[in-house]
Amino acid sequence: MSLRLKLLLLVAIGIGASVASVAFLIEERAHEAFRRIEQERTSTLINQFRREFDHEGEDIVHAVEAIASSDAMERDAMELNNGADVANFMNETAPYAQAQRLDFLDLIAPDGAIISSAHWPARFGYKQRWFLNGAPVPQQPFLKHVETPQGSVLALLCIRTVRAHGSNYYLIGGRKLDAVLQALSPPQGLRVSIYSAPEQGTGEFLGPARDSLDPAKLMPLIQKAMDQHSEASSTLDWDMSHESIIHAIPLAGYSDRVPGVLLVGNSLNQELSLERRIRDVSLVIAGVGVFLGIVLTALLTGRISRPIRKLAEAAGEIGQGNWDIRVNASSSDEIGRLAAAFNRMTEELAGQRERLVQTERVAAWRELARRLAHELKNPLFPLQITVENLLRARENTPEQFDEVFRESAATLLAEIANLKTIIGRFSDFSRMPAPRFQRVDLNELVRSVVQLFQGQLKRETAKIETEVELGEVPAVSGDPVLLRRAIENLVLNAIDAMPNGGKLSFRTRAGGSSAVLQISDTGKGLTREECDRLFTPYYTTKQHGTGLGLAIVQSVVSDHHGRVTVSSKQGSGAAFEMELPLASASSALEDPADDPKAFSAGAGE
Amino acid sequence: MKRLLSRSAAASSLVLVLLLAGHASSRPRYGGTVHILLHDRVNWIDPAAEEDSPAARDRIASLVFETLTTADQRGQVHPLLATSWSSDLSKKIWQFRLRLANFHEGSPLTAADAVAALANNPFAWKVTAGDRQTVDIESTTPVPFMPEVLAQKTLAIVKRLADGTLAGTGPYRLSQWQAGEHATLTANEDYWGGRPYADAIDFQMGVSLRDQILQRQLGPGSLAEVGLDQLHALEQGNQNLSVTQPADLLVVLFLQPDSAAGGTGKKPVDPRVREAFSYAVNRSAISNVILQKRGAIATGLLPQWLTGYEFLFPSRDNPDHARELRADTAALVIIPPISLAYNYADPVAKLVAERIAVDAREVALNVQPYGESHLYKGPRSAVHADAVLLRLPLSSTNPSSALSSLLERLDAPQQSIASALSASRPEELFDIEQKALEDFRIVPIAHVAEAVWLSNSIHNWQQLPNGMWNLDQLWVEGAR
Repeated sequence: MSLRLKLLLLVAIGIGASVASVAFLIEERAHEAFRRIEQERTSTLINQFRREFDHEGEDIVHAVEAIASSDAMERDAMELNNGADVANFMNETAPYAQAQRLDFLDLIAPDGAIISSAHWPARFGYKQRWFLNGAPVPQQPFLKHVETPQGSVLALLCIRTVRAHGSNYYLIGGRKLDAVLQALSPPQGLRVSIYSAPEQGTGEFLGPARDSLDPAKLMPLIQKAMDQHSEASSTLDWDMSHESIIHAIPLAGYSDRVPGVLLVGNSLNQELSLERRIRDVSLVIAGVGVFLGIVLTALLTGRISRPIRKLAEAAGEIGQGNWDIRVNASSSDEIGRLAAAFNRMTEELAGQRERLVQTERVAAWRELARRLAHELKNPLFPLQITVENLLRARENTPEQFDEVFRESAATLLAEIANLKTIIGRFSDFSRMPAPRFQRVDLNELVRSVVQLFQGQLKRETAKIETEVELGEVPAVSGDPVLLRRAIENLVLNAIDAMPNGGKLSFRTRAGGSSAVLQISDTGKGLTREECDRLFTPYYTTKQHGTGLGLAIVQSVVSDHHGRVTVSSKQGSGAAFEMELPLASASSALEDPADDPKAFSAGAGE
Repeated sequence: MKRLLSRSAAASSLVLVLLLAGHASSRPRYGGTVHILLHDRVNWIDPAAEEDSPAARDRIASLVFETLTTADQRGQVHPLLATSWSSDLSKKIWQFRLRLANFHEGSPLTAADAVAALANNPFAWKVTAGDRQTVDIESTTPVPFMPEVLAQKTLAIVKRLADGTLAGTGPYRLSQWQAGEHATLTANEDYWGGRPYADAIDFQMGVSLRDQILQRQLGPGSLAEVGLDQLHALEQGNQNLSVTQPADLLVVLFLQPDSAAGGTGKKPVDPRVREAFSYAVNRSAISNVILQKRGAIATGLLPQWLTGYEFLFPSRDNPDHARELRADTAALVIIPPISLAYNYADPVAKLVAERIAVDAREVALNVQPYGESHLYKGPRSAVHADAVLLRLPLSSTNPSSALSSLLERLDAPQQSIASALSASRPEELFDIEQKALEDFRIVPIAHVAEAVWLSNSIHNWQQLPNGMWNLDQLWVEGAR
């Protein structure tokens, strides 16, 4: 990743993180503010409900008291007490209930039997004894479920006694709690309902939103409030689409049992909407900020990183061998000083390299001179001796001169031939021919080389065994003459490495897109340093080597776009691996005499 | 002298007028209009047609259309359009001799008219004309009380005219008809029995008497049907009331969904549940409180005062037994709620149905009452209820005729209806009733009286014990 890109990323992350932090803080503050408002609104609504509840309770008390104290009701009680037929009073309560707008009104006999029921006329005669438990009749209104034909209904009730000559008749009147809910005017976003929990049967929700409530979601909260007799809150979906904070407040009833739970739901829509807006605005700000930041940073970093990029490019050029490259060091800042230092360093390095090349060239010439001196000195000495012998024989023993001359001439010819061989090797190395590529069966080539050397190996005093393990190898692309020469050099090298005999092994195998030939010996092996320098021209570990054999091998393999490696362990022989690219299918049709460059191109290099 | 004579004549005339006025309240007078306020609404006056309020319809129709026979207050059958009748010994073939009478449009009554009217009788009798004035009725089973049966209002002789209108022979003719709202009948001047006293009878339907009861004042020349729940207030106001014997049968009929016809897909209520239901109902409370002691507990189909044997049926008010039966049944099957339909226009039926639901609730049976608009009209299979609460009028003061009519309305098998028509002895009728009640498909609740509130200017009001009105002798005070 470039420095400029890093800087851009850093700036973008920085801006994004800053905006996110600010947005988070704003959101948290807004959240807190909403919570405060929500608590205030809920508290206000609950207080309003309590006021309406008390007001409705007082209204009911007044209504029931008005009925109980009316002359007509007192007359009814007297008549009933005097043994009047209760059948005549069956419909007595309905007009009273209608006049006083009561949803429920029962006239109860002293024994608890219903004489008249406004809301359920058919229930006459059945006993209502829940309030006749010896305790004083409550004077305050209370919540209780009232049985109706449609089921149990949560009602705000009041009991009053109508006395008739020592007998107590009772009036129980009340209204549905829905009326209290309907009197409420919750502000927008607030919803209110009551869960009615009858002693038997399933509960129901009261209020305008009762049909949209989801009992499965609300019941755990309601049950918690009922069990603990205290308020419980939770964030739930009030209905299908409104996530709300819901407060469940248990309502006290006639007994210890909670008959209903007030539910106040404060919609989080506004808060969620604001949070969404903050998020959206933050995203826009962050996006714009990051964009501007990237643009500005790109401009700034362009100014900063351009000299550095130039330096990097110059360094790359130097790496590729262009030592003449220089960078502009016009500025006086750190980058300018760095550029000047780079230029100085480049000049210094170029100078050092020049000197090093000069030194290496001198060393190479010295090595060549040493090698040539050494190689030429050996045949020259016999030549000198032979010529001196000829001179001595002419002067001292002329009669044997002819014989000596013949012997000396043979020697001279042999040594001259030796000299020519040496010179020819050097000449060959300097004039390595370009390979003429064709499809070559590597295994066949190895077999022919092994066969060629079989005779020589048998003549060797030390016994050298051969082992040939040739695998399934496709044809390789190469010049069979040069490859044969390279293999022969490796074989000769191995034979030289085993003066006391050993085993010479040939192995071939296919390896991906190439074929591998391994030639290993069981000689004394090579040191690590020897391995590193083995393919250097004129380097040899042998007494009479020219140091060109393995250099030729590497040259040939390199010309074939292959690779040659050596692995060895001191004392346990060495193994040379020659890796050659396989011939392509199309190359089968190529003329072996084609230009090798055409092959290279065909090989995809 | 002349002047003296004229003064004497004037004085004599005045005395005569005063004398006549003194007798006015006790002697029938022609003229005037009687206003009748009906609680129910009648949509079609045809006596043979199905109607949501058949009793109210019969009250209007009986003034326009006449039957072959009629019954008096003691239940004795008398000639009406038939002057005489006879039967063979088997009581299967009956012959009725028609009187000379004219239909309202002027045509004379003939045997062919009677045959046409009775052709679609519910008992599948074969009705033929013997001669111009003789009608032969042949039944496959003996019908010993054929004249009493023919007094049923649904068997009135109605002539269907080409223009679709109906003509009768009754003392009043239909002059104005507004279905469900209003009907005006005017006196038939050519009535074979003589012109009726009142010029017209005006029926107002669907009337609520709330205001009149509160003021305890009914208009002059008016009479009104009143509910039993309204009686107490009127009695306290010393109003002129006429209350019949408890004649109408209040009964719960468990419906048999007709699976063959596709039906409603509902299953009939289990017989054990029906039995528990029967024992759960507190008939005493219904009779004493809801029916204001103007009803009687029904253990059979016909009332005790008519048959004398109803007391032999065991009382079913036993909630403990109902609870046991219900528990035993619940151990074997799941008991679904029982939907009970009642006539939504009948406040007493509503109250009784709700009371039945309360009583059933006490024995853990779930009965769900609801109002149905067409309980008496159309096929019962159209009613989507498990049971219906019916108020069936006593169609005849003859037990055999009344029972056959009740059984027909309770969807009893034709064999039972035929048996009721054939029965001549009380023990036979008792057996038929007992058999009809044994599977608890029919659960009698109460016999209900009918009450009428009359203004003091109405005279000669006659009501049969079974609740039927006889208005042909009705006259209004101060008419002429």
